[in-house]
Amino acid sequence: MKMNLSKSFSEFRKKPAFTGFILFMVALVLNAAIQGPAKFFSANIMKTLFSTNMSFLLVVMAQSILLISGTMDISVGVQVALVNVVTIMTMKTWGIHFLLACGLGICAALLASMVCWLLVSVLRLPALLASFALTYAIKGVNVLIMNVPQGKVQKVFYSAYDSLLFGIIPAAALFLVLALLIWAYVSRTRFGTNIYAVGANPRNAFAAGINPVKVQFQAFMVKGLFVGLAGICLTLLTASGNPNQAEDYGIRSLSACIIGGLSFGGWGSLACGAFGGGFLILIQNSVYYFFNLLYSLIPGFSVTSYWHNFISDIIIFLGLLMTIITAKGQREALQINLQNSVRFRRRAENAK
Amino acid sequence: MQNNVVTSKSATLNLWQKIQVFVKRSPARMALILAAALYILTIAAKPAALNITAITSITMLTLLLSFASAGQTLVLIGGGMDFTVGATMSASAILTTAFMNGQDGNFMVTFGAVMLMSLMIGLLNGVCSVKMGLPPMIVTMAISNVVSRLQYVLTQGSPLGYASPTFIKTVTSKIWGVIPSLSLYALILFPLMFYILNRSRLGRQVYLVGNNPVAARLNGVSVNKVVILTYVISALFSGFTGMLGAAYMQSAKCQMFDNYAYESLIAVIVGGTTLTGGVGSYTGSIAGSLLMVVLNNTLTAFNLAQPARNVLLGLVLVLLLILYNRGKSVRQ
Amino acid sequence: MLEMRAIEKRFDAVVALNGAQLKSSAGEIRALLGSNGSGKSTMIKVLAGLVAPDRGKIFVDGQPVTILSGLDSKRLGIATAFQDLSLIPTMSVTDNILLGNEPLNSVGIVDTKQAQQTIRDLLDRFHIDCDPAAYVQTLPPSTQTMLEVAKAVSLHPRILLLDEVTAALHYDEIQVLFQILRELKAEGMSIIYVTHRMNEVFEICDSATIMRSGETVIDAPISELNLDDIVFYMTGQRPEVASADACCESTTEGELVLDVKDLEVYPKVWGISMKAYKGEIVGIGGLQGQGQPELIRVLLGAEKLAAGTIEFCGKPIHLKSPADAVSLGIGFVSGERGREAMFPLRTVEENIVAGKVAKGGIFQYLTPKSLRNFAKDAVEKYEIKIGALHHPASSLSGGNQQKLVIARWIAMNPVLLLLDDPTKGVDIHSRREIHKILRRCADEGMTILISSSDSEELLDISDRIYVFYEGSISDVLCDESKTADRLVAAMMGMNAANRKAGA
Repeated sequence: MKMNLSKSFSEFRKKPAFTGFILFMVALVLNAAIQGPAKFFSANIMKTLFSTNMSFLLVVMAQSILLISGTMDISVGVQVALVNVVTIMTMKTWGIHFLLACGLGICAALLASMVCWLLVSVLRLPALLASFALTYAIKGVNVLIMNVPQGKVQKVFYSAYDSLLFGIIPAAALFLVLALLIWAYVSRTRFGTNIYAVGANPRNAFAAGINPVKVQFQAFMVKGLFVGLAGICLTLLTASGNPNQAEDYGIRSLSACIIGGLSFGGWGSLACGAFGGGFLILIQNSVYYFFNLLYSLIPGFSVTSYWHNFISDIIIFLGLLMTIITAKGQREALQINLQNSVRFRRRAENAK
Repeated sequence: MQNNVVTSKSATLNLWQKIQVFVKRSPARMALILAAALYILTIAAKPAALNITAITSITMLTLLLSFASAGQTLVLIGGGMDFTVGATMSASAILTTAFMNGQDGNFMVTFGAVMLMSLMIGLLNGVCSVKMGLPPMIVTMAISNVVSRLQYVLTQGSPLGYASPTFIKTVTSKIWGVIPSLSLYALILFPLMFYILNRSRLGRQVYLVGNNPVAARLNGVSVNKVVILTYVISALFSGFTGMLGAAYMQSAKCQMFDNYAYESLIAVIVGGTTLTGGVGSYTGSIAGSLLMVVLNNTLTAFNLAQPARNVLLGLVLVLLLILYNRGKSVRQ
Repeated sequence: MLEMRAIEKRFDAVVALNGAQLKSSAGEIRALLGSNGSGKSTMIKVLAGLVAPDRGKIFVDGQPVTILSGLDSKRLGIATAFQDLSLIPTMSVTDNILLGNEPLNSVGIVDTKQAQQTIRDLLDRFHIDCDPAAYVQTLPPSTQTMLEVAKAVSLHPRILLLDEVTAALHYDEIQVLFQILRELKAEGMSIIYVTHRMNEVFEICDSATIMRSGETVIDAPISELNLDDIVFYMTGQRPEVASADACCESTTEGELVLDVKDLEVYPKVWGISMKAYKGEIVGIGGLQGQGQPELIRVLLGAEKLAAGTIEFCGKPIHLKSPADAVSLGIGFVSGERGREAMFPLRTVEENIVAGKVAKGGIFQYLTPKSLRNFAKDAVEKYEIKIGALHHPASSLSGGNQQKLVIARWIAMNPVLLLLDDPTKGVDIHSRREIHKILRRCADEGMTILISSSDSEELLDISDRIYVFYEGSISDVLCDESKTADRLVAAMMGMNAANRKAGA
């Protein structure tokens, strides 16, 4: 039994999600310890955690797909805002049903993703700069669609979003389930393996009869769908429209992916993104509660809220530093086999 | 007759090819021409745009951006990327106003403090990019975030003090009523950058490292040392530019210059330096800075609202990228 | 079944194939043999769709065909296992083998059950002991090679090309592979087998096609050939095996510049000891991939030394990086111009002065004039044909690029110059000039260590030759023992023991 456990652990060490998982667990334990486990794992706290952060988590997962396929899009943040303004404004001006408006919002995200694909895969512009240029353009479009924050969502929808199913399951988590279901299907088609081949080595993939541009198109479409869902989550959370929000998701999602153990092209999984995103979310959360704890423990202790962001950014930087150590551990785990085999071979040959 | 048509056709083709070659080969001159054309267009459409204030402000902003782009140029040629340019500038501006506190005598202390801080940021950037094995973009972005947050923590969100009057004068007074005295700094900084990039051993090595790091290493270049040095020099340039920026604005705000991270990157790219490294010139970056500033000026002159400006800026950037920075196809 | 007629291919100035022929029939294992640069790899690449021939015809089942891409090759029923692996290291075993051919069920989902079954059968058949879910990069090189072969076989080809796949395999794996090849042969598959190991040829192959300098020399059943014949057709020389371990160490008098003892490099090289004296040209011979590049890179400090000592000019040295080596007065010229030597985007001048630029104080002022003169002198002295000094280096021809790289280092006057296959892909004229330059430098007192895949070149230029075989030195040649036949025998690893096994 113990053997089995240690074996499956050493197997897990080889998985790309390992580094992200460790960091995520550290953040989870830290957060639970600071808030008190009983309180942290209570249904209400979980509900808030899920509903406030679901859109960011989905964006990170969307970004992961792009990173695996060897590209990226830092305009995902403004795309989330685009979904938000399209949903609210179509509902407001045309008086259509909220769900229909959500559909249009998702279409907007798909369209934006298609433009990004055109620039990055078809025209072969550097992904970072092209999507940065796109950030400007979409930001402008957002404000053209909605000049000032306005609009609202019917209470049925936003209170349903911020509720608990059967008293324990956060409704917002359903979006995560939906995204995972989509991914479960997509990753089981040929796309699921082709995306890795295209990300790691487009030339070999092409030689195996795969069209890299087509695979990246599929990747961008799935990413667009996820960003659409993220936009709906944000709309339900804020229950209104605001063209100037979520812009920093673009860059933060990249950091999250890297912390989660993804690298540019062909290495990593959606789980990496999820763990990395979870790490960022939990760190922010626990830093907030950590300072609350300090205020209550130390009389007269008071610092500005700027410290919260500072500490969490320091921890994110340390998280990146940590990936060296975890990645090194992983490399060693990967190389044990190799070295043993070479030693074995030499011994065998010396014997001969 | 038929023959004639053919020759004239091939002549135009040749001209077209010549233009293509020119566009590909001389991005710096191309950026200058574009900037000039854009400005003339603006003046033609809005004659009011031609005034001394506008020219002075264009010069001023171009110089500031080109100082900020100096280090970025060096880092990009070496195959890296420096996102801390903006945060370093802001932090340095805050240090400057705080240390100077309106007193001329504090200049040397301020200068020392700013350079020390920049040195630390640069070393952190360089060592982390080299040792972490993560993309430099991600590493420097994380460091940039920390530096930005630090500004708020140390100043409680509202930086104190002012740049000293003489220092302000060295930046903002006008020579013959037009040219900002900031250009005097250019007389030092441009040649300095020229020396580093084109005349020193370091500059030569940076080009080699950026073009082919494997060959550079086997050739005996200490690749890591060179890369770290590019980040350090970049941070020092950003730090000093931040000081000048503080004098220009007179007082400082948190994250005041953070957008310079992206703007410097774009100016450098527009000036013909590639993201893949090994190619580029500082002249190009200066021309690129001018183009970016003139573009902004044009958008302002046409009284465009912010959203329309953003959309246009995005489109122009995409066009420039298509001109200079397309990758190679998988199929050959 | 397959026939290639009068295939010609040039790479710039170098003729790779010059009217080469290849025939193979169903149910046959055919050895495709030849020494370095004979064109056998190019033939394989033509069939795999990676190289387009300039001239010549290919027939499959008597029908003329054109192969323009890997997909064309696949459609014709040709599968290839490459020596430098086409696997994607970050993907799992299953995904790699099925890439592009995943079994799908009715809703477009990959049928994992069927996939697992396919993979399990395949791994069982090849006796590969690995987890199908493991990432390929976590597997030892020999297993990766087996997977590469398994992947090719899993395509159920009619013609199977194996390009030196046994180089990385263990003895028992080779036996498994041979068993499978025999089965496939019985099923009527046509197999073309490229190898350097002669005993394997006699063990498994039915017939052989031997190539030399891009031409097909002979095509005969194995039963009509013996080892000496094969070597003769490959090289034009009759091999002569060293009768005793000749010792060439003490023949050269003079100052000892390089003294290497019991050198090991993970995982390619073990137990190398060698010496080089002042003013000497030391050759390193051997077939490709026998550990020569690793030795040179260790001497340059570019690779880690696992065991052993290096003494340079009488002092033991511990190099951490090539920069250390360069500052001691060691120079390096790589034959892999594109990857390891040239800066294609930079100008000719910058490429020439790259060596000068690498050495010295980092903020030091370099006058443009001194650099220009340095470059101009080098161009004149070594007769490099350039358009202008400010043109990009990529505008030069291959031979001139190589002369440039050599000039870069020789102009620095190093104590020891390391050259790794410096004339690879260089035309005959430039090659001669390079030899002349090297000889002149040696006469002036430079010590030169040159590795080459070209036997004639080595015999021509070297004072002494160390011959590598599978990571060790198999023979040392000098003076009267420096003959083509003995070099060939040593390159094939033919010592008394091997010879018995082969014949």
